[in-house]
Amino acid sequence: MAPPQLITDFMRLMLLLAPSAAVICLVLAGLGLRQGSVPDALVGGNFAKWMFWAIVFLTLPQLISWFPSFGVPASLPGGGIGTGWMANLQSDLANFVQNFVLSRLATCFAAFFVLRAILDTVQGGHPLPSILGAMFLLAIQTTLNLIKGYNSGTSFATADVLDSLWNYVAGTLCPIAAGLAVIGGIWNFVSRRPVMPMIGATLGLLTVSSVWKLITAMM
Amino acid sequence: MSFYNGLLNLTNWAGNVIMPTLGALFIAFAVVQFARGYHHLYSTWAYGGLMCLMVSGLLRMFEKFTGQLGWNNPDLYWNSLLNMVDWFANVILPVYAAMHVTVGALKFGGLFEQQVHHQFNHTRHFLGAILCLMASGLLRLGEFFVAKGTAGVS
Repeated sequence: MAPPQLITDFMRLMLLLAPSAAVICLVLAGLGLRQGSVPDALVGGNFAKWMFWAIVFLTLPQLISWFPSFGVPASLPGGGIGTGWMANLQSDLANFVQNFVLSRLATCFAAFFVLRAILDTVQGGHPLPSILGAMFLLAIQTTLNLIKGYNSGTSFATADVLDSLWNYVAGTLCPIAAGLAVIGGIWNFVSRRPVMPMIGATLGLLTVSSVWKLITAMM
Repeated sequence: MSFYNGLLNLTNWAGNVIMPTLGALFIAFAVVQFARGYHHLYSTWAYGGLMCLMVSGLLRMFEKFTGQLGWNNPDLYWNSLLNMVDWFANVILPVYAAMHVTVGALKFGGLFEQQVHHQFNHTRHFLGAILCLMASGLLRLGEFFVAKGTAGVS
């Protein structure tokens, strides 16, 4: 027996709203980047949590494709939403997220993060976490496209996206971060703070993949 | 706008614009510390100023240390440390030795001690005044050394 039209349309509505939910998760991830230290936020913190949920939302159809193997028949309805008011709701919510949350709200948050970077410096803190948060918030659309590009479309898509993001961070972002570590090392030297952690971090940031191979070789 | 571009431009701006400018400030601090007789502090500022002019070079140095083996070689981190130790022991220490031989020879002479040793108040003040008037020259000297060193040590 075919499911009622309303149920099918509700499922379509939820699936079509998943990318919008991913955008909201990315905004929350950007806000989470400034809570606590950057390493805490990146791995195991709020940033990591919201990034994970963004990836889950973007790979939801591929994740649901696992359900039949658990004995739950879950065939996803294709096509557009048949019920008029539901189609309008989906369109309005997607517009709200795209035009208000992403284009305006995230940019405002980024501007406040720049202000916070200056206030952090006034308090003797470090401006870098706030600046990184601002950059992440301004680049949400590009990050969203990047994650979509990594979606392999298979039932392993969630893990594939996480794999690709790790490669992107280790192979593209970490060597650039090594430049920042060199600057941090010089700053620590001048301000008579420990330099060795920065030297070790610079070498580590330039050899992330190798350290991963080392760990797997040890296992 | 992408996070990659943001991070790249931030690093370039900090390393190639801000740090060389701060380098000039650090050299000025070094001159002031020297003139005030804080001989245990001025060398830190002076070396810091010189390093500020070499941010790109220092990064290239670390890239050289970490680029001797394949990216997927588990020994790469160890090899990088080894290259750094090798460079420090065989490049930096001989230069440091030459510097100390020069200082030792100057002290051995004794005659020069009163004229050049910065702890002596009268020479320190005069030398400090001269250095204060040539801070730009010191920076240009540092830039000259950095520019001459771009080919590396062979």
